[in-house]
Amino acid sequence: MITIDNLNLHYDKTAGYNTDKKETSTQVIFDLSLTINEGEKVAIIGPSGAGKSSLLHHIYKQLQASAALCSQRQGLVDNLSIYHNIFMGALARHHWLFNLVNLIRPFKQELSNIATLCQQLELEQPLTKKVDKLSGGQRQRVTLARALYQQQALFIGDEPFSALDPLMASRLLETILKRHKTVIMVMHDRELAMSAFDRVIALDKGYLVIDSQQQSINQQKITALYQTSAVA
Amino acid sequence: MPQQKKIHYPLGYWQKITLSIWLIALVILPFADIEISSFDPFIELSRMLDGLMTPDFLATEYLFQAIIQTINFAILGVFLGLVLGAPFALIYQHPIVSSCCAFLRAIHEIFWALLFLQIFGLSPITGILAITIPFAATFARVFHDIIIQSSESPLESIDSRADIISRFTYGKIAQVMPQMMAYTRYRFECALRSSAVLGFIGMPTLGFYMETAFRQGNYSEGSALLIIFIALIGTIRYWCPAKLLGVYLVIACLTLVDTPAVDSSLLIRFISQDILPPALKNITTLAEVQWSSLSSWFTAILWYQAIPGIIATITLALVALAATHLVTLNVHVLASKHLWPTPLTWLGQLTLLIGRSVPEYILAFIFLMLLGPSMLPAIIALAIHNGCVIAYLAVKQSNTIAPPQMQMSKLNQFNYHIMPDIYPNMMALMFYRFEIIVRETAVFGILGIMTLGFYIDSNFSEIRYSNALVLITCTALLNVAIDILSRRLLKLPQNSQTSC
Repeated sequence: MITIDNLNLHYDKTAGYNTDKKETSTQVIFDLSLTINEGEKVAIIGPSGAGKSSLLHHIYKQLQASAALCSQRQGLVDNLSIYHNIFMGALARHHWLFNLVNLIRPFKQELSNIATLCQQLELEQPLTKKVDKLSGGQRQRVTLARALYQQQALFIGDEPFSALDPLMASRLLETILKRHKTVIMVMHDRELAMSAFDRVIALDKGYLVIDSQQQSINQQKITALYQTSAVA
Repeated sequence: MPQQKKIHYPLGYWQKITLSIWLIALVILPFADIEISSFDPFIELSRMLDGLMTPDFLATEYLFQAIIQTINFAILGVFLGLVLGAPFALIYQHPIVSSCCAFLRAIHEIFWALLFLQIFGLSPITGILAITIPFAATFARVFHDIIIQSSESPLESIDSRADIISRFTYGKIAQVMPQMMAYTRYRFECALRSSAVLGFIGMPTLGFYMETAFRQGNYSEGSALLIIFIALIGTIRYWCPAKLLGVYLVIACLTLVDTPAVDSSLLIRFISQDILPPALKNITTLAEVQWSSLSSWFTAILWYQAIPGIIATITLALVALAATHLVTLNVHVLASKHLWPTPLTWLGQLTLLIGRSVPEYILAFIFLMLLGPSMLPAIIALAIHNGCVIAYLAVKQSNTIAPPQMQMSKLNQFNYHIMPDIYPNMMALMFYRFEIIVRETAVFGILGIMTLGFYIDSNFSEIRYSNALVLITCTALLNVAIDILSRRLLKLPQNSQTSC
């Protein structure tokens, strides 16, 4: 599906995105090689600042045509309702005229689809509620719902459960894994990453340090990774 | 013996700016004509106050129609302005579009009306178009600013496979809708003021009856009309909620006074004959043009009308700026909750409402009746109106500041805590309003003050349309130049949401 060979990434702190310009930026990924096959469920872990998000966005750029992205920069439109924010995932499936009419008067079919989706994501809020009235965890689930509503085969997520409690996180993760053939996700909860994914990749200071299948994950090695980084 | 070192404490940035405003005003004051030429202003004043005490609401014969027409022009003008202007917000970054809009915006509604008056006569088309054109140009610019300042992240998170219309409406338009609605509501208030003022050149709005009443000395009738007008503006949000806008639009179309048919021969004559300079009339080929007479015509206008007009306009505007500063500082104290108990601040708020609701033009007209024709009425009118607008916004800001957790008197707290906090914003607003002051100053000419508008008005009444057109262009260019200059010099924030 995707093969990365000797990747070097630079991150422009002032502009806030990956760049090729080397003067104003710092290198965040060093000589990284990686292959991800279709059907794999891959978790990316590592201490903060390890380059996880940069790598993930690089992967997304390559696979954009068939991927749904759930980014940390949620990009919700505060002024729109939960329904419309989630519907934004489906914009590409419809004609613009359909989308415009839907903005004024929601279609019944879409309403019931999105209501079901919200139920699955345990988002029990009226669909007409504006998203600026929601809590952090609820906003995160709206973002998640919007990515799910894109109905793509590949799901790319950047810590999509960071504001949720661990139990809910594992329930929602199950839903995501069930609905997508391939999943690539940055996880902050490494226990959950190791138990739910086929393959775990660990980054440290821009280097790929662990790449292992679930059966052969070395618990101690991962624990050590977080400890040394915390000291440094 | 230790020598006391002299401590150097330089002036702060805002102190320097404030001082320079006052220095400039003091230097040019001797050149400004501020004589009181009325025989006895106090007799007139007491009659006016008398009229204010005894408002006569039944004196105006066509009062109801006048109110309806005032509202109609405003609603249709804003609506057409939105329809024409909003699409240009999307391509406003193009230099041709933005400079065209700047030019159209720089010509005051009254000048537009004077122009259309020659073509359409006293038809509603004149009034509506006069509001529509400058408002469309303003909408284009402000909506463009609003869209640019909005967040990019929703657009980034939308599936890039979706078409551009869907992405733009969901990611951008939906995001900035509340701001655009709020601005449109605010502009509607401005349109009501403009619509009333159009009465002064003959349109059948409240201003027409107001001018007649004041000119004839019927101060009871005039004050009644003024009270009705202030009440109309103060209660917009009650009689014109967003939901009813569609209904009002339909009513406006139905109750518009009869529109006389446009005489197309008049339109053609105006464009092909009337607005041409004398040297270009009745010629068929370029070879017949008498270049020397054309250039002497142009130099004469420039030398005897445009330049004196521009000098008077700028002089008046600079003195008015200093006067506005004075009024702002004093008036905003009246309504500050940091100084007075709440009931007293209501009184202050009412003063501010009255001060900002009455258009400068009407204020200038009233003071002109009192003091006779000079720059003084214009300075007072500009200072009161703009001072109250800025003070209103400053009070809004200062009332959100939490009082410091410190033992000090209210006055000390106001001077040391509140004022330093709001002063920069207050000054920025004032410099922003300078552009509006210049625009308004030019128009005061129609009342007889020797600014650009005076020459424009005289040329229209002498049926020298070509001269008037040259002078209107000069006025617009002056406004555009001042706009560019003030932005460059002061690096003001780019948003223009307080414009009117």
